[in-house]
Amino acid sequence: MVRSNKEQELLLGTLDMLILQTLVMGPAHGHTIAHIIEHTSDQVLQIEQGSLYPALHRLEDRGWVSSCWGASENNRRARFYRLTAAGRKHLHQQTHRWRTMVHAIGSVLSKAGEVSR
Amino acid sequence: MSLRRFFRRRQWDEERARELEAHLAHEIDDNLARGLSPQEARRQAYLKLGNPTAIREEIWKMNSLVSIEDLGRDIRYAFRQLLHSPGFAAIAIVTLALGIGINTAIFSMVNGLVLSSLHIQDESRVLEIGFRQQGAPWQPTLSVPEYQQLSAQTTNVFSSVFGDQYGLDGLSMEGSRPDRVFTDYVTGNFFQSLGVHPMLGRFFHPSEGVTPGADPYMVLSYAYWKQHFAADPSIVGRHIDLDGQPITVIGVAPPSYRGLSSILEVQAYLPMAMNVTVENTPVADYNKQANRGLRLYGRLLPGVTARQADAALALAARSLAAAHPSEERGADLRVFSLAAGRLTGGLDQNNSFETVSAIFLSLAALVLLLACVNVANLLLVRATVREREMVIRSALGAQRFRLIRQMLTESLLLALFGGIGGVSLGLAGSYLLSNINLQSDLPLNFDFGFDWHVFVFSALVAVVAGLFVGVVPAVRLARANLNLILREGGRGIAGRGHKFRDALVTIQIGAALLLLIIAGLFTRTLSQSEHADLGYDPSHVLTLMIDPSEIGYNEARSLEFYKDLLPRMRTVPGVVSATAAESIPMGMIDNASDTVTIDGYAPPPGQAPPSIGYNLITTEYFQTLRIPIVEGRDFTNADNGNSLSVAIVSEAMAQKYWPHQDPIGRHFTMSQDPSHSLQIVGVAANARYGTIAGAIPDYFYVPFLQHSQLNTLLALEFRTLGDPASMAPEIERAIHSITPGLPVFEIKTLHQALYSPNGLLLFQVVASLAGVMGMLGLVLAIVGVYGVLSYVVSQKTSEIGVRMALGAQRSDILAMVYRQGLWIVGIGLVIGLAASYGAAHLLRSMITVSAADPATFISVPALLAVIALLACYVPARRATRTEPMEALRTQ
Repeated sequence: MVRSNKEQELLLGTLDMLILQTLVMGPAHGHTIAHIIEHTSDQVLQIEQGSLYPALHRLEDRGWVSSCWGASENNRRARFYRLTAAGRKHLHQQTHRWRTMVHAIGSVLSKAGEVSR
Repeated sequence: MSLRRFFRRRQWDEERARELEAHLAHEIDDNLARGLSPQEARRQAYLKLGNPTAIREEIWKMNSLVSIEDLGRDIRYAFRQLLHSPGFAAIAIVTLALGIGINTAIFSMVNGLVLSSLHIQDESRVLEIGFRQQGAPWQPTLSVPEYQQLSAQTTNVFSSVFGDQYGLDGLSMEGSRPDRVFTDYVTGNFFQSLGVHPMLGRFFHPSEGVTPGADPYMVLSYAYWKQHFAADPSIVGRHIDLDGQPITVIGVAPPSYRGLSSILEVQAYLPMAMNVTVENTPVADYNKQANRGLRLYGRLLPGVTARQADAALALAARSLAAAHPSEERGADLRVFSLAAGRLTGGLDQNNSFETVSAIFLSLAALVLLLACVNVANLLLVRATVREREMVIRSALGAQRFRLIRQMLTESLLLALFGGIGGVSLGLAGSYLLSNINLQSDLPLNFDFGFDWHVFVFSALVAVVAGLFVGVVPAVRLARANLNLILREGGRGIAGRGHKFRDALVTIQIGAALLLLIIAGLFTRTLSQSEHADLGYDPSHVLTLMIDPSEIGYNEARSLEFYKDLLPRMRTVPGVVSATAAESIPMGMIDNASDTVTIDGYAPPPGQAPPSIGYNLITTEYFQTLRIPIVEGRDFTNADNGNSLSVAIVSEAMAQKYWPHQDPIGRHFTMSQDPSHSLQIVGVAANARYGTIAGAIPDYFYVPFLQHSQLNTLLALEFRTLGDPASMAPEIERAIHSITPGLPVFEIKTLHQALYSPNGLLLFQVVASLAGVMGMLGLVLAIVGVYGVLSYVVSQKTSEIGVRMALGAQRSDILAMVYRQGLWIVGIGLVIGLAASYGAAHLLRSMITVSAADPATFISVPALLAVIALLACYVPARRATRTEPMEALRTQ
């Protein structure tokens, strides 16, 4: 039936987590965030840039990031996002959960691999 | 998502648009740096970002509370669902329409009587001034000198003090037969102080109404102008006669303004001092310090509170008492708020209209509750039928919130249609109520128009009803475990909801019993009052009113007229006896009382001298009404202006003031005529004149011939041999053979006259309204019981089949179904009885039977029980006809 709420949150939360992680290094505007995610993931995570903004909006709504207008490195106006204390805490929790999950899935898959072999 | 953001989403959107532009600019910069052509750089940037509008839309949606699109879809879907089962929709809508309709009709009446605006400027700043002496009840009337004195002394709290006094006068045009009009004599500043502006012509100037006879002007009410002058705009400047005095019409009041009472319908306004000229009041009487007939009002100065006004009035009262030690002894003044629905009586008396209104609004709310429970039950049954649909939609990913919203949309749509039907029914009901024959001797404004108050009320009622009926199945859906339902094959929600549905129907039975018992108590009260011994015999009596002053007769001539008229009326064939009196039983005109000083009786310390009701009568009064003289003698023609002043007192009065003594020969004095001590010559049996219920008040009678200066308007009463109504034309002819132009009003039998607002009318209206609501409640409750049991039987078909296959007799099945019905009805009756007993105690002041009237409390529940069990019979019989094999096969 309906996917459990936790699971849904996890899927939605992936992009959120990536954005928050990017902001740990310091405030950045949307364009930079998109590029950092692409580059640091070795171009594996090709995020659709458009989906970044609704996500940023959601994060700000929950109080995990704050934003203000400022001048970018090439002197254009841009909206800068900064990680808040609550955001840092949330990121920490999410990272922990993600690692547990990856570990669990990893061990399940390796065992499944043994059986099928 | 915060509300703040919802309201600021437009601003947010602009913000986001700029942000996306900035993003694109950066991307284009990067692309240019990589050596792409400007065009290509731009294209790539857009490709990578996606559609900016779509992104903005997504964010916009995140900021929305309810998406309008979803709402529209819900409504369309709900519509289709209702069209799918038109039978269900029709029953639900009609049921809701009945419930909402009765609430609308009752509310329109309450609105008209109690809540409606008087359409004056700043209504809350206008207060009524009350007067009392020596701790007597507060009364609304003061005298002309008191008006002048207190308005001069309260200029620090009131911007103006103004007043009015009602009258009844004959209005005629160029020799035509006069029409009697209900007039209001107002101070010159009256309309100005109220802030009301004329529709035509002008109102009075503040200087008018001071000097008797100086300003023979009249303002017509809008309704009278429309009815009697065909809304003729050239009315202004027209000359008419009022009680034989020439008067010029100077204006017409606006349609919204109908006087300071929401009930009495004033037809024409005149300047205060014209009272002297038109009504033939001696100037000395008009200016008498203690002749209190004027109602006074004050408009508060800005910033002044009612308490400050009270303080200023108390001061004024003290200086009144100091200046006029005899007339103003113990005088006291204070303000009261304008109570539009107040009809008569003391200022601090309970407003009975408010009580009646509260009762009927509560009863109507009960009917609505019954209707809502029925519709909620229907919806519950439907919820069962639609469980599969809900489960599938849920399985396909619909959020439970959306499903609940869908159900609420459906019930609100039902309520909307129910509300439309209800308002139409309410309009019809209100029309019926407005057209009750009031049998009133004064023109009453009993027209409950629909204003926006009523529509807002109906809309609110409809929404509450819609939420109520929708919430029940929605909550059940929300609590239901959909997985379980899917597995159980669709018997989850309502299958386990028996208890809840039973409880709903139990409440219905209880509420219906409450409605029926209240209806029963009122009906019993009406029939008891109709057959009550009033002290006189109302059958075979015809009454009518005449006022020779309306054709310009003065007092002396009126007295001669009556002296001449009565003996001639007694010779009319078919008339047994004829008499004249100042007032008729239960009438509103001149049903007077006066403060009396009784020789040898001192009121208890701190209490005012008693105020006792009285009537001015001519000879043959007691024969005509068949009131026995129990002691002493009746009045004769010898009791006239030249002889000793005499009085006849009621038995109640005799026993109260002369207990264990012979009242004959004792004396008392009326405050209206302190120079004449009245000697008691007879004692009459008790009779009811002002009220139907309660203790019989004291009463006394004085001869018209000795008090003719008090009034020229009299009621004639005739005892007839045959049907009194059929005598009316002959009697009227006889009167006109003596004075051709004299208008004759209010021709009715005494029996009809008893159904006046003072008499049986209120009981009658209350009993029939309560009866209508009781019947509605009964029908709704029976439908509820029937519906629930039918449903139970249909759900238990397989169980019944198994039982029968195992050898259960039909009687066992009947007993099984009945047992459930008995529980529901039994508990409902117990709850209803308890509630009714409590409610009856609250109504004690309005019923003449006991609040625990055995006839009502036994017969009504018994009747309801029988009908409810009959309603159980149909489903029970259906259960016994179950074919075991068939029942088992269908499962």
